[in-house]
Parts: sequence; structure tokens; C-alpha cells
Amino acid sequence: MKHSMTPKQFFQTVLFGEIWEAMKVTWRHMFHKPMTFQYPREKRIIPDAHRGALCLLRYEDGKERCVGCDLCEAACPSRCIKVISEEDKSLPLERYASEFYIDITKCVFCGYCVEACPVNALAMTKMYEFSTHDKRTLLFDKKRLYDVGERHLSDAKKYLYAHNLEKEGDESRAYRYHFPESIKTVQSSTE
Amino acid sequence: MGLKPVTTPDAEAVTIELSLDGEMVQAKEGVSLYDVIASTGKIVPAMCYHYTFDPFGSCGMCLVSQEGKKAPVRSCTAKATAGMVIRTDGEDLVLARKKAVEKHLSVHPLDCPVCDADGHCELQDMAFHHGVTNLENAKQKNIPEDTRSLVLDFNMNRCIACGECINICKDVQRIDALQFMKKGGFNQVVAKGDQPLDCEFCGDCLAVCPVGAITNKFSKYGYKPWQLKKTTTTCNYCGDGCQLYIETKDTEVVRVTSPLSWKNKWGDRTDTVNGHDGLCVRGRFGFQFIDSPARLLTPLIKTESGLQETPWIDALDFAAGRLAQVKAQYGPQAIAGLITARCTNEDLYVFQKFMRTVIGTNRIDSSARYGHINFVRALNRAVGVTRTMNTSEEINKAKAILIVGANITETNPVASLRVKAALGVYKAQTIVVDSAQTNIAKLASHPIMVNPGTEGLYVQGLVKSVIEQDFIDEEVTGLHPEALSAIKQAVNGISLDVVSARTGIDIAQIHETARIFAEASRSIIICGEGLLRQSGGYQHMLNLLDLAWLTGKLGRKGCGINTYTEEANEQGALDMGVAPEFLPGQVAFDDPSARERITQVWGGTFPAGDSHSHLMNILEGCRSGEIKALYLVGENPLETLPASVDVKGALANVDVLICQDPFLTETGKLAHIVFPASTFAEKDGTVTNQEGKVQFLRPALDSLGESVLDWHIMAGLAHGLGSPLGYETTHDIQQEIRNVLPGYYNLGRPSKIEPRLTHYFGNDFAQQVGERYRLPEKSGHQRQFGLRMIQLIYHSGKLSTHASGLMEISPNTNRLRMGPEDMKQLGLNSGERIRVTSDTGSLEMLVTEDVSLPPGSCAVPEHFNDPPVKDLMTCQIDPTTGVPYFKLTYVSIEKA
Repeated sequence: MKHSMTPKQFFQTVLFGEIWEAMKVTWRHMFHKPMTFQYPREKRIIPDAHRGALCLLRYEDGKERCVGCDLCEAACPSRCIKVISEEDKSLPLERYASEFYIDITKCVFCGYCVEACPVNALAMTKMYEFSTHDKRTLLFDKKRLYDVGERHLSDAKKYLYAHNLEKEGDESRAYRYHFPESIKTVQSSTE
Repeated sequence: MGLKPVTTPDAEAVTIELSLDGEMVQAKEGVSLYDVIASTGKIVPAMCYHYTFDPFGSCGMCLVSQEGKKAPVRSCTAKATAGMVIRTDGEDLVLARKKAVEKHLSVHPLDCPVCDADGHCELQDMAFHHGVTNLENAKQKNIPEDTRSLVLDFNMNRCIACGECINICKDVQRIDALQFMKKGGFNQVVAKGDQPLDCEFCGDCLAVCPVGAITNKFSKYGYKPWQLKKTTTTCNYCGDGCQLYIETKDTEVVRVTSPLSWKNKWGDRTDTVNGHDGLCVRGRFGFQFIDSPARLLTPLIKTESGLQETPWIDALDFAAGRLAQVKAQYGPQAIAGLITARCTNEDLYVFQKFMRTVIGTNRIDSSARYGHINFVRALNRAVGVTRTMNTSEEINKAKAILIVGANITETNPVASLRVKAALGVYKAQTIVVDSAQTNIAKLASHPIMVNPGTEGLYVQGLVKSVIEQDFIDEEVTGLHPEALSAIKQAVNGISLDVVSARTGIDIAQIHETARIFAEASRSIIICGEGLLRQSGGYQHMLNLLDLAWLTGKLGRKGCGINTYTEEANEQGALDMGVAPEFLPGQVAFDDPSARERITQVWGGTFPAGDSHSHLMNILEGCRSGEIKALYLVGENPLETLPASVDVKGALANVDVLICQDPFLTETGKLAHIVFPASTFAEKDGTVTNQEGKVQFLRPALDSLGESVLDWHIMAGLAHGLGSPLGYETTHDIQQEIRNVLPGYYNLGRPSKIEPRLTHYFGNDFAQQVGERYRLPEKSGHQRQFGLRMIQLIYHSGKLSTHASGLMEISPNTNRLRMGPEDMKQLGLNSGERIRVTSDTGSLEMLVTEDVSLPPGSCAVPEHFNDPPVKDLMTCQIDPTTGVPYFKLTYVSIEKA
């Protein structure tokens, strides 16, 4: 195949026309505000609905919200949640999770567990920095999850509001499950 | 199709036709319309229906439309009549049913997340099926939860008032411990009289509750149904052989359930003749021993500093070495073995084969020796039958039932439901001869409360009365006139006056019970430990056979003699030949043809030795030094037999004592070698229930720690002794049992019973019948009270004392039970300290009132050895069967 070249093409090739074209863009951007930011010194603003680290929450009075219903475990598509529930020895007839594990290495951050939670005990936060030297620390236990919840309480609340799960005031009380009293305590208090 | 109401099994209802969704359907007249619909395979939702009891009609879900009626009708309470035109499907019906669900849900707390029934809840299913998403006017009941009972919690907020719990308790269990009570504006289920629930705790109410209103304390909040792995296996507590589901989560047993559930609600009321698929308290709540911390985890070997944990390989090597040493030094006859009848058929088979071929001794026995063998040997001798004669269906449909010395509601609660159905549903006449007012006696038409230990005498009285009143069946007895005259002559020696005086029962009553038994078209005898485990048990059994034969009940369809066994596989132990007198298949040990057949499979020779080396002779042999090594598999004679037998001395006298058990028993503490064995929940194999049904055990868990199956240990010992048995799996053993006992695993329907009496009545019948009908010597006991060791419904042997649930329900109270009259006479109050003295010993304990006991009688549960009441007992040994009788003694009681 014979190659032929017009004079315009010839000059463009000799004078590196594409480079000048590109340099034009660079020149233009020199007068723009930068789009990137300097992670980790600078941090990105994250939307409320962001699905970050999972955490467990407490009520305002400090009581654990989780009732150990195992529904998050059932909803989890990657089977990374393990709940061990039992009767609260100090508060008979109340169910709670004596142990709670989330294997973050398996978690796909789908947020199904939060949707499944009937008492809004689980929430997602804006925390996404999990990097570690030891993979074993990524098995979050109950204490760690409550710690995350305490540290990122406002973010967790915002997540729930953003997903239209948590309600304010009286409506929120409907979520809090009230366990029945034992007839024994009722009888002894009337005596 | 259920026959409701059923009053007699003989009555047949008229067959009618009705139209169902455009198709003509045949049905029995008067049955529930719901049953007719269900029998065609159509499923109409119903939350208060269960086939085991009559329709209740409270849930309002089973609506169908009937031509000629404006509103939908409840099909469960409607009776099927000829010419009905019924439609079961349609938009209007779905809407009507949806309304019913909404009505239930509007007062339901919607606490599904914390409810134990979540995922196994009929109300949830119904709400889902009918698309209930929004509730108007929902309100909360705010009823406190009734946690007063030891086992069950009643959360009446969740109750939908279906009444299933109340109905099953009343109609199936015939206990009637629950009732409806209007409290706080709602109908609530409460225990009778709003007291803390204190019943038999069978847990059937828990099983049929379609919501989570009744929950179980032992597994409360610990699970969600979908997390549990279900294993179908057979209960190991008694001979009923109930099928149960062991539900496990990871490595722990969470709960035990059974096929009885609101989910299995469709069926035929008459199906319950084969059992209602429920369980008793032991099966349902006595599972904690499986993963008990008291389980043995490693083999132990006795050293100077006590029992030391040892690796398996060393322990097996040591045991095999010691056995080989004893065998070489003293011969194989110096080794003996005992095995518990809670083991599987495979364990039992390998045990007897190991002892007979590898060791070469016939000194083996099982715990069937404690009584069941009396029953089997008497029946085997007389009629050639080796198990109970009736199916549960025949018991259900009996016209008269004679229960002698069997507290069946306590020892075999599920089998006793068939008797309860017979007397409740089919109105059978029931005669209960016992020395206490048992629960079955309370329901019986003729409760006969005899003096302690005179049950056998009462049977003699019945035989005498049958002859006196001439209720003899001419046709049957005409075939063996010499036997009839022998019996007639024999009973001449006893007079009803004396029987009446000794038993404490009027002659008129003896005559009446004899008449009822003889005149009924289908009479069934059920005998139990009060007869078989008391002095002269074998003779009494033969007397019962005489009674059945004289009245023509032996071999007639629907009649027969039965017993219920205490341990799960007593029948299997005898079938597998774990008794010195039997080879596998219950043929005589010295039967040459059977020996030849079995040696063809085994390929070895049979040991020398007699067929009399039973349990008591083995212990005697240990004491005399004749037996040098004893191999105990799950047996614990030290805690079972009274001190007068001197088991301790016997065990201390042997050179090698090998104990194999899931737990470290008192006997195990004396042992030189202890092997950890698996429990039934970890085994695969089969057990034979008292009816002769071979049922499967399936492993629900891996064996705890290093414990292994019993037969593995025997196979290991055989290997160590240089003659491997060559089994790799349980299947190999089953294959061999099939060869030795063709057809054992698929018995199917038990074969018809053909009494072969010619042989029995030949020989020395006349002579031995003369010996049988003799009034027992008036025992010269000065002591006033008959002390019996009784079984509790909450316990079975010693095994159940390792189940923490059962120990919570029924702890050891250290109390002697006495009738109120005796206590008044002695000036005692419940909880006072008393001194109990028998001929062999004396001890102090507390006393408690038990209204079921007649004057002159007192009782102690046999499951606990603290205080060691069994040591007050004297022990008699049956001259024929070698059964030790030690359940009754006479004591004097005084304030301590």
C-alpha cells in the first residue's frame, strides 16, 4: 500500500501538532481549581447514605438495641454475620445477643443487614479505613462494633435517616421492643 | 377419615356422597367436613385444627362456602352430610380468611424478632399467604409472661386462643392440666386454677402451639428454627422407641422435637392408634446429658495416684494385654461381661460375638436380666413368642385391659397413651392392679389397690375366680383337658378368702374383675415391674398365661399379654443373644441346629459353658474368685443392686475390671480401665422397641472428645487380642446380623401369634403348675411398711440424672413418700426427719406426703442413691431365670 501525505499532515507531524494540542488542555487547567485532593491529609466529603463500616447502636439510655434476633444473619448474602443469642441473665425474659461477629473480610457492604434489623441496632457509618497488617483484626466482635457505633454515632444516625429507617420522637418508640414482665415480678410487686 | 365421635371401634358409619368443588366425594357420615376436604388432598388453612383431637373451631380460617348458606361456614365444626355442595376456593373465601388473620394479628404483639417460633409460626405463614400488610386498630394486650412453671413459659400476648394445647392435653394426654381463663379482658391459657403449671411436662402443648405463646425454658431465645440441623433418631430412654428430632446448632443440642407439630396437622384421628408422634418429658427435655460436662472424654487407666488419662492406643493395648493374660492364666471362663440394654443392636451383637468367639466364654448378660427376661422366657416357653403379643393398634381397640403391677404412665408415658385412648375414646374396661394409686388407676374403670407385693397373688386369685365362676373357654381348653384339670387341681390349694385377706381386696371385686376380663371379646394384659421384678416374677408370668389360656384369650386376635420395657433396647438385647441362655434370635444356647447355622456365619467354635451364668452368677463368680476379669459396657451394678448383694466386694475381687460408659459411674471409679463411650445421639445403628420394631439411630453430633462407639471399642479389643472382627462400619455388622437372623431389619408387621401349647402342656406341666399355685408363706415380717423402689416419669434409670433439665424438674429430694394416713398415725409432718430400718440396715431421711400411697406402703424413687435406700433392700434371686428381685422390702419407720 502506497503512503501519501498532504502538506498539512506533514507539518503537523514535523512540529508535533498533537503535543501542542495536549499542552493547550494543560494550559487551560493551570487556571482551574484542582479536582483531586491529598488523601490521607485531605478527606473526601461522604454522603449520608454511604455504606461504610457496620456498627451496633445503643438507645439514649445506654441499653443495647440489639435483641439478638438473628435476622441480619439470615439476610446477609455473604454469610459474614454470626449472632449468638440468649436470655439476659440480669434481665429475665429479655433476649439479647451475647456474642455478635461480623467478618469484614467477607462483607460486601450491601446494607441488607441494616434493612433487616427490626430495632435499628445495626447501622453503617462513613468509616471505610480498614487497612491492617493482621487480617484477624477484621473479625469485628460485639465490643468492637459497639465502639465503632459510639465513635461514629452521628454518622450512623444519619445513615438510618438517609435510608428512611429511623424515625423521630414518638414514632421511634414503636421500634423499641418492650419485653413483657414476668408474672412473678408482677405478683411480688402487688403483694 | 376420622371417625368422630368415636365410641366403639366396631361401629361403622354410613358412607355418603357430597360435592366438593364440582366433584363428587365419598365420606363417612358425621365426620368433620374439614377432614373430608383434607382427605382429597386440598389444603384449607386452619390454625386450631389438629388431627389428634376433635375440631375446636376457634380460629375462623377454614371457611368454605356451602350452597344454600349466605355466609361462609367453618368446615372443621361442620359435619359432612349427604348432598352438600361445597366450594373451597374463591376470591370471597380468601378475603374472608384474610379478615380472620387480620383479627388475630390486630391483638398480636408482632414481636417476631425475639419470638422463638419466628420462622415456624402458622400466624406468620397465614399473614404472608394472605398478604396482610396493614392493620387497623391494632392494640397490645400487655399481659405479663407466666414464668412460674419449671419448664414452660406462657406468653399470652402471642396467644391466638386456638386451644390446641388445651385439647391435646385433654384429649390425647388425658391430663387436662391447662384451661382457658378470662383475665384482663382476654382469653388466656393458664394452668388449671391459674396455679404454676405442674404437670407431666410432656411438652405436647409446646409442640402443637402454632405461635410462640408457649416456649421452652431450656432453649429459650437461644436459636431460630432455621439455624438448627434436624436429625431424626430414636429416643434412648424407654422401650417405647419414640421417633424424635435432635435439633443441633454447631456442636450443641438446642432442643428436641418430634413429628408432632402444628405443621403435621392433617391426618386421621384413627391414625393415632399407632402413636400420636409426641414425646414425654424425658425425651423432650432430657437431652442435656448428651453434651454434659460430666462426659468422659479420654480413656482412663488406674494408677497409684488414681485414674489417669491415657491415649487410646495405650489404653486399648493395656486392656487387651490384661485380658489375654487372664485368658492364658485362668482360661476363658475367668472372663465375664455385662452390657446395658441402652446400646444398639449392633453393639449388643458385637459384644456377644466378642465374648463368645474372641474371648471364648458364655458368661455374658445384659440389663434385660432385671425383669424383661422373666416375661420373654415365660412367653417363649409357653407360646414360642419372644416379645409383646399385641401391636399398639390392638391395645387401642381392646375391650378390656388388665394392667398388673405396671405404672405405665410413669415408666412408658407414650405407650400408655394407647391405653388412655382405649379407655377414653373406645371406652375399654380397665382393671389396674397395683399397690399404689397410679395415674392410670385414676382413669381406670376398676382400680384395684392391693397390698404391696401381692400383685402376683391377685393374679392367682383371678385364675381361681375364673375357674370358680366357670368362665373357662370350652373350645380352647378342650384341646388340652389334662392341662385344664392340672390347673383346676392346682388352684384347689388356694382359697379366695386368703387371697382377699392378703391382698386387701373383696372377693366380690376379684370375681367382678375376673368376669370383665373373661367376658370381653378382646382382652389384653399388660404387666410391668410390679409383677416381673418382684419375688416370683417368672411364676406370676406363667400364671398370667394360664389366665389368658383358660379364658380363651391366648392366640385370639386382639388379645394377648404385653409388657413395657424400662430401657430402650431390652428386646434387642435378648434378640441379639446377649444372655447366657440365648443365641442370637432367642434360640436356646445349646440348640445344635442354631449353633451350626451361626457358626457358618461366624466361622468359629462355640464356647463351652452352661447357660446359667447370668448376672447374679457372674457377680457370685467374681466374689468366689472364679472370674478374674469383668468387662462392663454401660452397666453399673454397684449403683443398681442393693448392698446385700455385695457388688463392691465382687468388683474389688477381680483382677481386671474394664468399664465402658459415657460417664464415670461409681462402678467406673473402681475400674482398672475406663473407656469413654458415645451416647445414643452420636451413634448410628438400630434399636428394637418393645413391640419388636427395629428403628434407626442416626448421629446428630460427632462423638464428644475422644469417645467412640461401643462396638468400635470391642472391635479394638478384639484386634488387640489377635482375632480382628473385621467390621469397618455399622453396615458390616448389620449385614452379618441379616445373615444370622434373616429378616431382622424388616420385620414389618409382626407375625401372627400361633400358640404351640402341646409342648408346653406336655412334660411336667402338671407338677410345675402345682408348685405355682401356692400361697406364698405368710412372711414373718414384723415390720409394718412395704417400702418400694419406684420409677418416676421424669427419670429413667441413672442416665437421666445427668440431664440437667430433668434434674431441675425433679431433683433428688431425699424424701420417703408415705400415705397421709400412715403419717398421721405416726404423728409425722412433711419435711420431718425419720429413721427407716429394714432387716439389712437403717438410715435417716426426710418424709413427704404422697396421697397415691395406701396405708402400709411407702416408696422412694430408685434413680438417686442419696441416701442409699437401695441398700435397705434384700435381694432374692429367681431360681429359674436368675432375675434379682430387690424392689420391695419391709421397713419400720420412726421419728428421728
